[in-house]
Amino acid sequence: MKRKAFMIDTTRCTACRSCQVACKQWNKLEAEATVNRGSYENPPDLTPQLYNQIHFIEQDKGDDLRWLFINRRCMHCADAGCVKVCPAAGALYHTKEGMVAYDQKKCIECHYCVNGCPFDVPRYDENQKITKCHACSDRIQNGLAPACVKACPTQTLKFGDRDQLISEAKAAGKKLYGENDLGGLGVLYVLDDEPGTYRLPKNPAIPASIFFWKDVVKPLGILGFWGAIGVAALHYVTVGPKKIDDSEDEPRKGGE
Amino acid sequence: MANYIDRFNAADRILHWAVAISFFLLVLSGLGLFAHTFFDYFDLFGGPQQGIFVHKWSGVVFLACSVLLFLRHVGETCSFDEDDRKWIAKLGGYLSRKEQEIPQGKFNAGQKLFGIFAIIAALIMGATGFIIWDPTAFSRELTKFSLMLHGLFFTLFMVGMVVHVYLATIGNPGTLEGMLYGQVRKRWAKKHASKWYRKVVKD
Repeated sequence: MKRKAFMIDTTRCTACRSCQVACKQWNKLEAEATVNRGSYENPPDLTPQLYNQIHFIEQDKGDDLRWLFINRRCMHCADAGCVKVCPAAGALYHTKEGMVAYDQKKCIECHYCVNGCPFDVPRYDENQKITKCHACSDRIQNGLAPACVKACPTQTLKFGDRDQLISEAKAAGKKLYGENDLGGLGVLYVLDDEPGTYRLPKNPAIPASIFFWKDVVKPLGILGFWGAIGVAALHYVTVGPKKIDDSEDEPRKGGE
Repeated sequence: MANYIDRFNAADRILHWAVAISFFLLVLSGLGLFAHTFFDYFDLFGGPQQGIFVHKWSGVVFLACSVLLFLRHVGETCSFDEDDRKWIAKLGGYLSRKEQEIPQGKFNAGQKLFGIFAIIAALIMGATGFIIWDPTAFSRELTKFSLMLHGLFFTLFMVGMVVHVYLATIGNPGTLEGMLYGQVRKRWAKKHASKWYRKVVKD
């Protein structure tokens, strides 16, 4: 199946937050009480009950205010740090559409995915199980658009074949974020400023320590373990053990 | 028994086997967290939650017993002399069948180095294990670094364990007896630890 993706054109977003509400409704997520922090951004971050969020960038420019909005969510990486680091078989996985989904029944509550994600996305609910955007995998398997996309009134959010979305955006002369990072992100952004302004890493990558653990230490460790056994066996049959010569023992007492 | 001399007392032996048992419990219960290739090892404990529980608490036992065992022999373990340098230069005579006389104390240079490696690795495993006990308790950077170090020293420990088990069993017949019931044959002591043997016999 062709890989699917979200195309998020932040320049069209009006911060109506229909996406936040539609996601909560479809995924049956509770409303949460928040406090006024002196910003229109609300809630301030992704939570176990909030799979996508409109992040407000409010820049004070003297008499003027610059307002930027970005829909934050799981980026559905092809080379996903969370999937890489998750020890539980089938707890985090790629769907056939290329989205990163999860099975809470298989989650072992280790929180490793929180440490493997370059975008600070996975959250844990009150049962200590992973939650995050799963691209409404139940909807897309049935040919429907994810709830947030369905609800978006400005076509900021689009969902479809990844290649097609990319070529359309390029034909319209738009610069994309995430086309090739981490094997290609499943969420592509059209941004109005540098990625850093939107709290996005310029060159997202799997954390170096996680890469070193999984791609260097693990294979070398398996090799080292079996190699050591091999060397010991080879030593035994070539040089041989350091035997004690019994004949040189002190005279034994009878019956011993 | 005239043929035997005392090598390890009951406290040493109990501590050593507590370290050994907790080590293998840690390996079997930790493999499932190390990589998803080994996830099925959790079945040995009845499931991931039970495996993680066993891993955490056998880690506490392992660290405590490792520290106690090391402290009981810290003086002998951490002092190296000219004969130890000779032992290291000749790799303990392990590369040839020829008998080589390298006088050694209670522990040879290789055993001392392994003892020092084991306590450093145990302390690092303990410290990083404490940090990842609750993977959200500390900063993400520290947690990620600890996960990596924990995995790295796990693999080093596995290699060290293979070498240790080989040399203490079939590689050097008669060695295991010292750790099983505390005594080794005099002939063993003359061969492997002549300086220690002379000292013990003199006393």
